[in-house]
Amino acid sequence: MSRFFKRAGDSSSDESESEEEELLSSGEDEAPQQVTKAAPIGMARFRRTGSDESSSSSSEDDDDDDDDDDDDDDDDKGKKKKTSKFGWGNDAEESDEDKVVVKSARDKRLEEIDACGKTIDNAVKVNDWVAINNEFDKLGRLVIRQMTLQEPIPPLFIKHVINLDRTLSAVAQKDKESKKKMNANNARALATMRQKLKKSAKENEADVKAYEADAEAFEANYASILIALAPAPIVKPPPVTNNKDEEPVEGTNDDFKTVGKGGKAYNFTAAGLYKTLAGVHESRGRKNTDRAENVRILEKLLEVAHTPYSKISVLLALISARFEYNTTLSTFMPTDAWLGARHDLDELISVLAASQDYVVQEVVTIETDELVERTPETEGGTVHVRGSIISSVERLDDEFTKSLQNVDPHGTEYVDRLKHSMDLYKTICRAQLYFETKNQPEATVRVVMRRVEHIYSKPNAVVQALETAAATSVESLHLKSSIPTLASCGNTKSLVHTLCVKLYNTDNSFLRTRAILCHIYHHALHNDFHTARDMLFMSHLGDTIQNADIPMQILYNRAVVQLGLCAFRSGLIKEAQATLQEIFTTQRVKELLAQGMHQPKYGSSLTPEQERAERARQLPFHLHINTELLEAAFLVSSMLVEIPLLASIDNEEQKRKAISKPFKRLLDFADRQVFQGPPETTRDHIMQASKALQEGQWEKAKSLILSIKIWSLMPEEKKIKEMLGQRIQEEGLRTYLFTNSAYYTTLSLSLLAKTFSLPEKSVAAIISRMIWSDELSASLDYMAPPDGSATKFPVVVFHRVELTRMQQLAQTLADKANTMVENNEKTLDQKLGGSGAGGWGEGERQGKGGGGGAEGGDAKRSERTSRGRGRGRGGLTQRGARFAQGLGNRMDGGRRNQ
Amino acid sequence: MAEYDLTTKLIPYLDRHLAFPLLSFLHENEIYPAEELIQAQYDLAKETNMVDYYAGLHEQVYPGKEIPAEFGQKRQQAMETNERLEGEAQAVLAVIENPDVVQALRQDKLQNLTYLKDNYNVTVDQITALYNFGQFQYTYGNYTGAADYLYHFRILSTSNALLLSSQWGKTASDILSGKWDTALEELNKLKEIIDAGVATTSTTPGVNMPALTQLQSRTWFMHWSLFVYFNHVEGRTALLETFLAPTYLNTIQTSCPWLLRYLAAAAIISRKGTGTASRTVRTSLQTVVKLIQTEAYQYSDPITDFLRDVYVEFDFDQAQVSLKEAEKLIQNDFFLEGFKEEFLENARFVVSEAYCRIHQRIDIADLSSRLNLSQKEGEKWIVNLIRDPSSALFSLSADAKIDLEQNVISTNKGSLPVYQSVIEKTRGLAFRTQVLGAAMAKRGSGLPDQPENGEEGQQGGGGHHHHHHHNRRGQPNANKTVIAEA
Repeated sequence: MSRFFKRAGDSSSDESESEEEELLSSGEDEAPQQVTKAAPIGMARFRRTGSDESSSSSSEDDDDDDDDDDDDDDDDKGKKKKTSKFGWGNDAEESDEDKVVVKSARDKRLEEIDACGKTIDNAVKVNDWVAINNEFDKLGRLVIRQMTLQEPIPPLFIKHVINLDRTLSAVAQKDKESKKKMNANNARALATMRQKLKKSAKENEADVKAYEADAEAFEANYASILIALAPAPIVKPPPVTNNKDEEPVEGTNDDFKTVGKGGKAYNFTAAGLYKTLAGVHESRGRKNTDRAENVRILEKLLEVAHTPYSKISVLLALISARFEYNTTLSTFMPTDAWLGARHDLDELISVLAASQDYVVQEVVTIETDELVERTPETEGGTVHVRGSIISSVERLDDEFTKSLQNVDPHGTEYVDRLKHSMDLYKTICRAQLYFETKNQPEATVRVVMRRVEHIYSKPNAVVQALETAAATSVESLHLKSSIPTLASCGNTKSLVHTLCVKLYNTDNSFLRTRAILCHIYHHALHNDFHTARDMLFMSHLGDTIQNADIPMQILYNRAVVQLGLCAFRSGLIKEAQATLQEIFTTQRVKELLAQGMHQPKYGSSLTPEQERAERARQLPFHLHINTELLEAAFLVSSMLVEIPLLASIDNEEQKRKAISKPFKRLLDFADRQVFQGPPETTRDHIMQASKALQEGQWEKAKSLILSIKIWSLMPEEKKIKEMLGQRIQEEGLRTYLFTNSAYYTTLSLSLLAKTFSLPEKSVAAIISRMIWSDELSASLDYMAPPDGSATKFPVVVFHRVELTRMQQLAQTLADKANTMVENNEKTLDQKLGGSGAGGWGEGERQGKGGGGGAEGGDAKRSERTSRGRGRGRGGLTQRGARFAQGLGNRMDGGRRNQ
Repeated sequence: MAEYDLTTKLIPYLDRHLAFPLLSFLHENEIYPAEELIQAQYDLAKETNMVDYYAGLHEQVYPGKEIPAEFGQKRQQAMETNERLEGEAQAVLAVIENPDVVQALRQDKLQNLTYLKDNYNVTVDQITALYNFGQFQYTYGNYTGAADYLYHFRILSTSNALLLSSQWGKTASDILSGKWDTALEELNKLKEIIDAGVATTSTTPGVNMPALTQLQSRTWFMHWSLFVYFNHVEGRTALLETFLAPTYLNTIQTSCPWLLRYLAAAAIISRKGTGTASRTVRTSLQTVVKLIQTEAYQYSDPITDFLRDVYVEFDFDQAQVSLKEAEKLIQNDFFLEGFKEEFLENARFVVSEAYCRIHQRIDIADLSSRLNLSQKEGEKWIVNLIRDPSSALFSLSADAKIDLEQNVISTNKGSLPVYQSVIEKTRGLAFRTQVLGAAMAKRGSGLPDQPENGEEGQQGGGGHHHHHHHNRRGQPNANKTVIAEA
């Protein structure tokens, strides 16, 4: 304890004296206010002074700690007195033992009360109600503490209540003149004082009456109680229930030890445990409570707690005390405190697991005496303790995230901190097992959610490590039931699946939604595109995500983005482009993924609250999806989709419409550049590759794309590069055909195959597909070689027709009419919600159903434009809605028709 | 061929009795060891009341062994139950078949019940006896009788759960007794009930239950319907109409992707579908191809591969291989077996159509070999193809000529004239708008829950009137969208 104070005071030891002097010399009127203001600093300094000065230190009870908290509020006189009188227990000063004036804690308290009383008396004399007010408050506090320690209310207090009451009424009598004389402060204090007096008089009505009736008898009575109590703490250690519980405390000197022991034993033994605990509880949430000190006390208490009940109670208090260390929500817990809390939580779960008859519950209906040991025998089976483990687990997790948010992600500190995630995961698993054993479904799903959130985005190796650590930790609980582990499930996928299924079965829709998003993300992470996509569509989240809370939307965006990346990795370029398009159209990728703050535009800015809220939402660095990689994937997909499409369209107007905005912007920018230097950024690479592709230089495009460094962040980099190369060749061919079909009547397939180094067969297939879907007006043919030999070689023959302006317009009109009817149908479809399961015009819509891959042509174009329009935070709704509509009919219809 | 056999996938969604034909078919085809199949049939029959059949199987499974004693008991029991139930049912039947009663019965079921109760003292319990007896008859294989009793029961009963059950029973009975017309009718009724989604069973309450039940019912329905659709004359068209409805497509995607085989097969078979077929059927191939593509990750077999090869990959060599495989598959498929020739014929059409559209000059020898035909046959075939009014080549026939000397057909096709493509594009628009209007009118006149086809609503005069009104309202909306896009 003393060590702590020293530390606290170290920095300011020099000034302390003088500052105190100032306090002392200040006028009586201001003094009280000043004191309260200066309290936090003064406290530390004051103590420091005390311990330094007092060569004649007294060995003391630890009760002093409680006293200390209030000491600083003492008025100047009281302080002065104390400073000279009491030193601080300093173990190093045993030599002075003889001179020690042994005083019991109680005596000291009484003295304080006494001092308070005197100040009040003085203040009454000068009619200083502000001072009276302050002192009375202090007095009240002291008395309350007295009561919590189950000592009788000192008569002094009662006396003051009565005295003040009288004075008040006297003042009231000469109300008019006095009030006018009084300054405003004083008058106000008077009024509050009156209120307070009334209240405390009422509270202690019986005592007041008894005192009024016979003051002497009352005091005599009090004195006798005191005497009865007195010997215990001072003379000898009380009959300690458990001798070995006594701390082998500091100090080797026998004599000193006895006393020290006696003092400590009073507090930190099983017997005194509940009292001290109650004291700590009492001080919780108070303004001047020294939270660190409380933690310290509780830690000591824990050492002596040996019964399950006491352990549980102390641990619960300790965990909350640690969490309370910071009062503001914005700062994060210090790592030490966090580790402590985690350790305590672990221990709490172990204790609970070992003693099955004790249950921690949030709501306990039976009122019990907190100061008494409770056992299953006394409670008739099970002991219910008030508290919440799940909240603590969640808080622990939140604090972990918070601390990661606040640590520089590029420093070693971050990595060190991140290592604790393994411990945290252990705790979570233990908690899950405990909840399952106790059959607490609500807590179970909450903790399972936390568990899923710890593993869903991690690669297999990390999950493996987490699980291995957790497995041993969980086993050590020795509970019969078991939880799904990596070992029992086989692989991460089925582990996540098992956990998520658990969550799907709850009534809590919030958890269900989060679970499915995590599950989708996980599938996407493991390149299971179809499953992930189907889950996303079946969940209908695209329709409702705008209404969800922001963290949920963030998770949704993450899942969608991961899905896009997954499509890219699996070579589903079109899907990747469509999935990622939406989020890139917003140009706020980082913000939407909670990986960066909102960049306010001119004129608008965030309020501090908004900013703080957003900061709190940011993901810790290790969970980030690499946005540069994401952009590369998106732009390359866009390139592969858009460049041939651009080439296929020959009038400017359509060109403007067809292309996706983010890509178009970049392409235009690249076009405007007068001088093109060697590519530096990923974007440069892709843009130059796009240009090369447009010009038919697929080799250049390929080498540009493949030289992008960021691909190395993708797993299976080689495969992806191979896929990309192949795609570039194919799309290069398509672009070439689109661009140049006007200039040839025939082209030999073998030449094309050679130019684009593709097998002739796939060239034929690509051309066939283009012919079939009416993208290319051509047909395949065989031609005799000019030298007249018998072997014919395949060629493609173009039938290009130049359209007149008029014909072009007619076609555009027809297209527009088509789009219009389609839109009408879509609108009506949405209005009717596909009610009659058969739909109203199913025949007509057939051509468009079928989810993902709408092939080329007009349908695709119209789809694109309708999708292209930005869509706030939600992301990807249109597409989701489209698919969901198909799948959804069944569900909706079913519900509506019930 | 066992790898393509779907029986194991189908059976879980079939009634015990419906599985017998499948098993005996497998038995004939000898894909699986005969003993296993008999064992399976035996196990299947054990739970039914088809005692004699089961006894016969027993001999095959355990030749030379005594038929177990419980067999006799069971037979005895079945006979007794039969008599008892028959007696109960007969009482009601006698009343119902009374001409007076037939006269007096009305549409209103409740009224009928009171009438029967008042005049003939027939209670609800007695009516349920019809159901019980019908069901019992079904269990020992008297499907015609079962159908009969269930029919009568359905007229009278008001219990939703039993009605649904009897509907399923009646459908199964009709299927098993091979009355395809009635079976198709029953099937359609069943579909209506499912689509209406009325909560018929008193299953555990829950928000998601009805949707899930509906999904399950649809899955069952689709499996059962295969019997009808591949036996009835109009079956394939009906299959396409049903399976291609969005809700059923979703069911396929969600719970039974293997049905894609039958969908694909039906689409190929009815490719030549006459002009009267609805748009759904006409465009079915496109839809199916798209579906096959999206679902390729969960299901593929030679038939779907064939379609993919032709329409997605345009790899005619591979298509040829797939087609050969598909032929084998069809021989061993219970439902498709009878359609082998038809399928092959149409598959050839599919190939040659695609082939001709892409190529300018078609080497007959080349094409014939791709169709697994000799050159002679191929030539004949192609001539027929050009003559066939439903083929894509027909429109080109003016330009398509067979050059026997070089043995090629040359088509002199340019791209479609612009006016024609404009006509093509705008063709359906007026009709589609009408359908839209009709749908809105129907909505307005308060028939929201009746799943009907647009065509029907359009016939009503009232619908027509509304249609104009609503259409005008719909128009500006659409215009706005167009403007926004432009």
